Amino acid sequence: MKRITFITSALRRVLPQTLLLAGLMVSSATGLHAISSNQTGTHNGYYYSYWKDGGTVTMNLGTGGNYSVNWSLGNSYNFVGGKGWSTGSSSRTINYNCGVWSPNGNAYLCLYGWTTSPLIEYYVVDSWGSWRPPGGTSAGNVSSNGGTYNLYRAQRVNQPSIQGTKTFYQNWSVRTAKRGIGSNAQITFSNHVNGWNSKGWTMGTHNYQIMATEGFQSSGSSNLTVW
Amino acid sequence: MRKFALSLFTATLATITAWSQESSANFVLVEGGTFKNTKSNYSGAKLTLTSFFIGKSEVTQKEWSDVMSTNPSKFQGDNLPVETVSWYDCIEYCNKRSLKEGLKPYYTIDKEKKDPNNQTVIDDIKWTVTINIGAKGYRLPTEAEWEYAAGGGQMSKSYTYSGSDEITKVAWYWQNSGDDELTGLWNWPAVEQNHNKTKPVRGKEPNELGLYDMSGNVREWCWDWYGNLEKNGAAPQQSSGETGRVWKGGGWIGGDFCCVSSFRGDHEANGNGPDQGLRVCRDQ
Repeated sequence: MKRITFITSALRRVLPQTLLLAGLMVSSATGLHAISSNQTGTHNGYYYSYWKDGGTVTMNLGTGGNYSVNWSLGNSYNFVGGKGWSTGSSSRTINYNCGVWSPNGNAYLCLYGWTTSPLIEYYVVDSWGSWRPPGGTSAGNVSSNGGTYNLYRAQRVNQPSIQGTKTFYQNWSVRTAKRGIGSNAQITFSNHVNGWNSKGWTMGTHNYQIMATEGFQSSGSSNLTVW
Repeated sequence: MRKFALSLFTATLATITAWSQESSANFVLVEGGTFKNTKSNYSGAKLTLTSFFIGKSEVTQKEWSDVMSTNPSKFQGDNLPVETVSWYDCIEYCNKRSLKEGLKPYYTIDKEKKDPNNQTVIDDIKWTVTINIGAKGYRLPTEAEWEYAAGGGQMSKSYTYSGSDEITKVAWYWQNSGDDELTGLWNWPAVEQNHNKTKPVRGKEPNELGLYDMSGNVREWCWDWYGNLEKNGAAPQQSSGETGRVWKGGGWIGGDFCCVSSFRGDHEANGNGPDQGLRVCRDQ
């Protein structure tokens, strides 16, 4: 009996989601949009995405590219969310300032996005919690924005996608040491793309691209602004 | 001995007659020729297909389990299309169904010899499958045959989807295969939470040839490697693949563009999924 387990697939958030307005509340006192259910949209000129498969997660959409997250995922659930752009770009330099990064357990602070044709999911990881992803052996390094990043590639087999069941790759670029918080930081994405290209890990047509908070069976909080 | 041989001949004849009367009712004879469908990838190509039989429906779970004695489908139901089947599973199904119905198997399967043409890294099976020329057994359609039949053959009206320019008339896909109609952009959480699934075969309008669900419901394996289209059209058995085998028609998970008759999809031959099924055909 061959079956697919979809539950933990990162492809749950592979492409933009329809708005589920039930979870969108407006706090008149703070002017923040507090989100607690799966949705995507545009807020103050920035694309945002919120996806979880359970647990308690509140994401506050602040002014401009600011957002904050408080998550409590128990022992079973995952979350990814953030702000960025509805159409990614290989040549974009991403600016951000992370004021709060307090994971308790496994979590990533990363640039996250997708391309299609080929279907590629990518991560540029600047910080993490208890475990440095994605494991395995690095295929090489890139130097960018004052740090060294290890390159990895992982394969996702028989996962749902906009074309139906698909096998696709994840491209990873992971900083060798956690990046500090509380000051302006940049990710020159082209450096990472060039690193992947040098390995033959070519990207396709960009879908969304966000500076994301991702939690796995953990709790914690984050607060950052992207521009 | 002579009596035994006579009995065997009678039994074989009865089996063939059974195909003619029972199984053939579920098949359409597709008249060969060149492509009339102006939206086909093969439109204008110097490619002339010979006539062939093709199933009116995707292979159902009953048709599968009657032959294989197993049913790998995620969504269970006799009249639902079988799914979660790999290309290799389907090749075996074709041969076993042929034998069951007294037809010479179309394929020779060498499970010990790794296919040197199979460049797909992820495929750990790599059986060498060759064609028995002249055999009348069941087989997968070639990509060209599939597209020719989906496009209406000689009766083509050059629809975008198989049988219509309006997808909802002919196809089950991500927006209409669940509890509610989904709108907006595709996303998996919405598809899953909407309980999208396969639908009973023949639930939508047929195409010009009387074929159902060529667009949507489950994706359908073809014989060909995904490689070069022209090469596939000319001599599919000669091509090789770095990515996998072709599927056509789209399914209940995917976007509308996958249901366009000319869309080409690929998946590793050992891959499967709850939207991956088949339709069989055979030579005239």
